[in-house]
Amino acid sequence: MGTATRRVDSVPVWYQRRVRIYDREAPLGYLLLVPTLGILGIFLLYPFLFGMWLSVTDSELGTLGKFIGLGNYRFEFRNTDGVFYGAVANTFLYTGVTTVFKLGLGLVMALLLNQVFPYRRFVRAALLLPYIIPTVLSYEAWRWMFDPTFSVMNWLLVHTHLVPYPGPDWLGVPANAMAALIIVNIWRGAPFYGISFLAGMQVIPLDLYEAARVDGASRWQQFTSITLPMLRPILLVVLLLSTILTFADFQGPFVLTNGAPYNSTQLLAIWAYQWGIPGGAIGLGAAISLVLFPLLTVVVAGVLFLLRRPE
Amino acid sequence: MTEGKKKAKSGWSRRDFLRTAGVAAATIAFPEIIISCGGPSGGGPTAAVPKPRKGASIRLLQWNSFVKQADAEFKRQMVEWGDANGVTVAFEGVSGDQLQPKTAAAVESNSGPDIIQMQYGWPQLYTEACLDVSNEVNLLISKLGKPDPVNEAFCRVNGTWRAIPYTIVPNAWTYRTDYFQQAGVTSFPKTWDELAAAAPKLKATGKPIAQTDGHAYGDSLTMWNPVLWGFGGKEVNADGKTVAINSKETRDAIKWAQGAVKNGFVVHPEWLDPDNNQAYHADRISGTLNGASIYIREKIEFHKYTDVTNNAPMPSGPKGTFAMNLIFNHAVMKWSPDAETAKALILHLMEKDQYLKWTTVASGYNAGPFNAFHGDPVFRSDPKLKAFEDVVAPGKWPGWPAMPSKKTAQAQTQYIVADMFAKALANGGTGDMEAAVKEAESRLKAIFERPG
Repeated sequence: MGTATRRVDSVPVWYQRRVRIYDREAPLGYLLLVPTLGILGIFLLYPFLFGMWLSVTDSELGTLGKFIGLGNYRFEFRNTDGVFYGAVANTFLYTGVTTVFKLGLGLVMALLLNQVFPYRRFVRAALLLPYIIPTVLSYEAWRWMFDPTFSVMNWLLVHTHLVPYPGPDWLGVPANAMAALIIVNIWRGAPFYGISFLAGMQVIPLDLYEAARVDGASRWQQFTSITLPMLRPILLVVLLLSTILTFADFQGPFVLTNGAPYNSTQLLAIWAYQWGIPGGAIGLGAAISLVLFPLLTVVVAGVLFLLRRPE
Repeated sequence: MTEGKKKAKSGWSRRDFLRTAGVAAATIAFPEIIISCGGPSGGGPTAAVPKPRKGASIRLLQWNSFVKQADAEFKRQMVEWGDANGVTVAFEGVSGDQLQPKTAAAVESNSGPDIIQMQYGWPQLYTEACLDVSNEVNLLISKLGKPDPVNEAFCRVNGTWRAIPYTIVPNAWTYRTDYFQQAGVTSFPKTWDELAAAAPKLKATGKPIAQTDGHAYGDSLTMWNPVLWGFGGKEVNADGKTVAINSKETRDAIKWAQGAVKNGFVVHPEWLDPDNNQAYHADRISGTLNGASIYIREKIEFHKYTDVTNNAPMPSGPKGTFAMNLIFNHAVMKWSPDAETAKALILHLMEKDQYLKWTTVASGYNAGPFNAFHGDPVFRSDPKLKAFEDVVAPGKWPGWPAMPSKKTAQAQTQYIVADMFAKALANGGTGDMEAAVKEAESRLKAIFERPG
């Protein structure tokens, strides 16, 4: 005992304190969070706060402006040129339609991939391709396919006598151009849904299905009573991420239409870019990109609430 | 000697007084004289020649030319100069539509290439990031003569040169002589009305005349601004403040365009800048407005339609002949640790012998921005290139007659003029003209009436 006491006495005080911190769960937890918080702070919080600050200033590119309150927001909301409100409407349409289709197709994809069939792993990997290919490359390829002069889709449609020559003007007519944007976004986003749902389905205990079958449940009943409820957490997280990312989608629509024809496919992200980067009004651009922030916050809060709610 | 003493005693002679007063009165009455003469800091023997620093590194960012050989020659000249002066030089080429995002990122982060190619009104947008290069421009003026007014309008911001005039990419019509003959059109139309009359005949051959009215950063502007000006329309008055798009002249321009499209002139809102080139090379169209790259690539690379391709200058409208060309200039950026070396490099590249070597390789795609480059032999080497030389003089800038500014640059980058035409030309030229004009007006007002 005496030896032990002497040993403790010989250990420096700072070391004893450090050991005590390691022994306590809460301080250790916060300590371990510091690097992550640091990274998040540098790469997420700082740019976000800087963007918010820019949005309430009259900053130009390369010149930090002065505080103007909500002047940039007022400018866009009071603007009567129709482009801003058109972009808001288009952004909602684009996000809403693509999310519904991606959700539906993703579920179907996951259900099919969850079956046992030859080359299953190969097919699973292949289905992820649209998500893996760099966005700009795949959208350039789609642009080529939608091109009225060289469109492979039109060639097929015309040669199979489904449409008369020269086929639809995919990117030159407002409704078609918006449809093209939506199609390509669904093509690119559905695999993300599919693979995420598949991961969720694979951890559902099989005995639940066996019990349901014994009770005489049909496949549809198994899907609605077992698969969907068990998928709920993943489904909500995927839906949340996808909604946020689609609202802010820039690369694809920029490559495919850049808002043309005459702003009929204008989205908030592109409109913010046009003011902020080529137009140099970075403060106004930041304000446009943050316009939907309050609404997205409500969406995120709603989904998080649903996630935390017990069954 | 005696005479000199006399002068010193009596102060100004009557002749001196009249000369000075005359110049002062003319300057007050016609400030453009100051602009066209190079301003108060005109080239003179006192200008200091920048010297390269041995061991310096210079990075230059500019677009990839549609004529690849021109870029190769440009790089060769850069490297040759770098080797001779112990300077490491790097050429960073990006596609035209990527140049502005890269430039904006550099400006915002206050770091990046030492020299950036400024397209159109970027010196107005990024004024604070561009060093004053008045000394270097004055050196060039003293050697090469007056700069082109359009390059000057873009480079000179509030009287200070923020970029060094670099080049003009003339835009003219490239057309297929065989299809025109087949259609019974013996020469390229000289007026917009003649063009509208020729359109149905060409369409009947299955190879229409076609152009973009979409968000193409080059071709949309070079097509629809000259049409607007040719009928007397303008986005804004010369004061750069009063929006003037809602006018009878604008409607005249749109009515012409609607008539032309109904006749068979094909517009493609989905086309970007490379698309009309590809359509021409793929034998899908009989004519389009473009830089000389279509003709040059036919001549150098493809050899399919060289003999049946010709070029023509811009048709005239009731209010005259107008053109819009791509205008590129070089800015030395404020963050450059070796700005003097960067300036020295640009001065070397702009030396007449060097420059003419480059334009020769560019084969008529580029025209020089100073008087000394007028009559460049490259435009004499092939009579078909003359059209591209002819469109330089009637060239204007987006927003003309207002001087380039942040506002005109914003109106340009939002494609307001092209969108107005595109909206009116929808559904085969039957779009709502009034709605198109009103929308353009309110968009322009949003820009020009916005504070700042």
